[in-house]
Amino acid sequence: MTPLKTVGHATHRIDALQRVTGAAKYTSDVHLPGMLYARVLRSPHPHARIRKIDLTKAMGLPGVKAILTHENCDVTWSSGDQLNQRRLFNNPVRFAGDPVAAIAAVDRHVAEDATHLIEVDYEVLPFLTDLEEALKPGAIAIHEGGNLSLNNQRQPLPQTYKRGNVAEGLKAADRVFEDNFTSAHHNNAQLEMRVSVAEWAGDKLTVHAATQGIANCRTDIAKDLKISADNVRVISEYMGGGFGNKNQCQDSDLMAALLAKQAGAPVKLEFTRKEDFVAVHGRWSSRQSYKVGVKNDGTLTAIQFTALTGAGAYRKGSCDLAGTEIYQVPNLETSVSPVYTNTAVAANYRAPAYPQGVFGIESLMDDVAYGLKMDPMEFRLKNMTRKFRDQTPYTSIGLEDCIRKGAEKFEWKKRWKPIAGSGDGPVKRGAGMAMGMFGSGLGRSSAVVRLDGTGQYRLHVGVTDVGTAAKTTMGLIAAEELGVPLEKVTVVWGDTDTCPFSVGESGSRTTVQTGMAVIEAVRDLKKQIAEKGPPKGSDVLTAMATTNPAPLQGQSRNSFVAHFAEVEVNVETGHTIVTRFVSAHDSGRVVNPLTAQSQVQGGAIQGIGMALHEELLYDKRSGQPLNAGYYGARIMTHLDAPLVDVVWVETDEPYGPFGAKTLGEPTIIPTVAAVANAVYNAIGRRVKSLPITRDKILGVLA
Amino acid sequence: MKKISRRRFVEGTSAGIVAVAAIPAVEAQQKAAVTPANQPGVPRTTIKLNINGVDHRIEVEDRWTLVELLRDHLELTGTKIGCDRGECGACTVLVDGTPLYSCSQLAVWMNGRSIQTVEGLAKNGKLDPLQEAFIEHDAPQCGYCTSGQLMIAKALLMKNARPTRDEVRAAMTGNLCRCSNYNHYVEAVMAASGTAPSTGGGNAA
Repeated sequence: MTPLKTVGHATHRIDALQRVTGAAKYTSDVHLPGMLYARVLRSPHPHARIRKIDLTKAMGLPGVKAILTHENCDVTWSSGDQLNQRRLFNNPVRFAGDPVAAIAAVDRHVAEDATHLIEVDYEVLPFLTDLEEALKPGAIAIHEGGNLSLNNQRQPLPQTYKRGNVAEGLKAADRVFEDNFTSAHHNNAQLEMRVSVAEWAGDKLTVHAATQGIANCRTDIAKDLKISADNVRVISEYMGGGFGNKNQCQDSDLMAALLAKQAGAPVKLEFTRKEDFVAVHGRWSSRQSYKVGVKNDGTLTAIQFTALTGAGAYRKGSCDLAGTEIYQVPNLETSVSPVYTNTAVAANYRAPAYPQGVFGIESLMDDVAYGLKMDPMEFRLKNMTRKFRDQTPYTSIGLEDCIRKGAEKFEWKKRWKPIAGSGDGPVKRGAGMAMGMFGSGLGRSSAVVRLDGTGQYRLHVGVTDVGTAAKTTMGLIAAEELGVPLEKVTVVWGDTDTCPFSVGESGSRTTVQTGMAVIEAVRDLKKQIAEKGPPKGSDVLTAMATTNPAPLQGQSRNSFVAHFAEVEVNVETGHTIVTRFVSAHDSGRVVNPLTAQSQVQGGAIQGIGMALHEELLYDKRSGQPLNAGYYGARIMTHLDAPLVDVVWVETDEPYGPFGAKTLGEPTIIPTVAAVANAVYNAIGRRVKSLPITRDKILGVLA
Repeated sequence: MKKISRRRFVEGTSAGIVAVAAIPAVEAQQKAAVTPANQPGVPRTTIKLNINGVDHRIEVEDRWTLVELLRDHLELTGTKIGCDRGECGACTVLVDGTPLYSCSQLAVWMNGRSIQTVEGLAKNGKLDPLQEAFIEHDAPQCGYCTSGQLMIAKALLMKNARPTRDEVRAAMTGNLCRCSNYNHYVEAVMAASGTAPSTGGGNAA
């Protein structure tokens, strides 16, 4: 790969100064004159019909300016839920935390006091928290049409994929392995809670939103409020993390806008931390069953995979599971059925379908390797994917190098024990690995670049920068293509009035899709400069591009990753710590090694939390969430976090900006499985249910 | 939903620091607060405190927390709220040099105290070595927890100018980062500790 001048060099974020001085303005930092504060009243019941809502006392509280309920607000929140037409305020309410009313008042205390003065008469209904019970004949229906959610064709059927003939593949196998795995609902838990500030000027609505995509947020708000997108402006200058739960427009955006309309004043709506856990969403849980056929020499003959996933009370994400695609196997059948229960909604969380699915398949493949007395790393090198779905060549694939170079850095041969569970003493050490992949398709996005007489370039890109350093990345790509230092490029971002459409910062698409638009726009500008000469005085040259490449025909574009974990498990207490971790990534050319390293280390550490601690627990008898909040959910802390070593495998990728592929989400994909496999290697018993908590470790050892 | 007032909640769950420090005699650079919403029947108290070297005299509602005073009424929005319940550390500030979660302190308890927030770290236009190191080592990802991480690190380095890696992790473990950029945070603090002054008070100008 040819080295470049700007791209590929460790570069500080262009907004780092703002982030370390407190000057960066996040949505919750927006204060508008005359602004009201809002609070949401939520259902205490997991399932109930609202007979009556009495607002008399709440409206009588001095300082209360507006209240929304399902009675005066019949608005669909479609962006969050294409399949079920969830409303902002639903009746019946379907989970403990479903919004019942939103109140705007002169300050946050009055708004909160008012929530206690709303009298709601509920008819309490039976509820479901368990996936299998929800599918039993005679189970109460949470939605019309039953509790099996719809597939992508809007049918109440599982999402399926098939190639070859699994029955024959299993027949041809020397050995068949089968097992079941479960994963838990756990929360994105980004530090910045849901927050929206809405203001109307006549027909024109401005929403300061904490969003991963200002363009999508704008069109979604317009659609749901049935107003023209021209009348909606979305601003998101700085964003405090989302990991998938701030895609598109949020219910808080719509509530704030409608409260502001009713009150005739700007409204700020901030959710609480508890609301963020129970009433936003987390990663969908799963029950997975696998059957794997294998020859004695380790060649796979078939994989059969069926699963249920926990959609929660409303459908919001795909609720699909991935993982089997990382194996080369002629016969494969998968079937995933999203199921409704009266629990918190599940939707996108960093590589939504992946870490839990990869946990299942990679745990079982580990068992297959041990069963055949093969080194799990060699087993993966033998069976890893070579072509997408065994059919379509990859534009580039560095998976083998990820495994080999990662193993070398990790010292796999030294750390992995051929006999799992061996070793003396109460503290047992073990090593595990796992692999993964993620789509990195090309797609639509736009950019505008301008040059004026001062010689400074202004790049307008509709990114918000969710923590990935997207602004800096776009600046680097522009500077590289222009052949100027980064300082010559001023990046304009985060405002739909000044920025063109950019694909949302979800699906790890921004670098590739918006990056390509930046390159196209810059090329056009360079052409103009060549034709007309550089602008002088108050002259301006402007170029814009919307790239909308057709999907690659006969090729698949993916990023690849292999993770290696070493753990210490105390078999007397079940206490587990990760002592060493290596992440090896093929993301094509790395645009900014400094911020990319942050992504990789952070993704792995998040995944370790998912592997060992994190779960939103429900009490089955009451349908109540038990541990909503940071302490209870036990997310990773400074003391939990191991040092993560990063290995780059920069494949020579022909497509994308300077050969860059996707990065943000792959960073968490195999982490959970690598840790789970390391625990198995340490103690010689497999925990088949996430998270791998102390009680479960002691349980399998008993 | 439980009906418990903010004040009762905070008093019931934290150590209950009593404000005894003397009110500074000289109120240099006294700054008027943003006019608070005037709610009838809500107890109010006038307090004097120093924030980032500036003396303030302000009437607060007794139910306001310190972070609420800073963010909603003094426009010091660098301090963030990540949980508002003493779990995440995003709101960490220094009170007389001691790091505290400002969501779990009532504003009225701050009478006579000196507060340092992230806005007070840079002096005379020069960044604190910690801020420099945070930029250098890409410590903030989304940046929402960064102010809190800076303040807890500042408190650590004032007490222990040359901490070990594990001392840094232990000192900062009450400050969550969901981007989980813990490696870079620790790296940055270690780097800054090479240049940080070995002495210094909470609010020393």
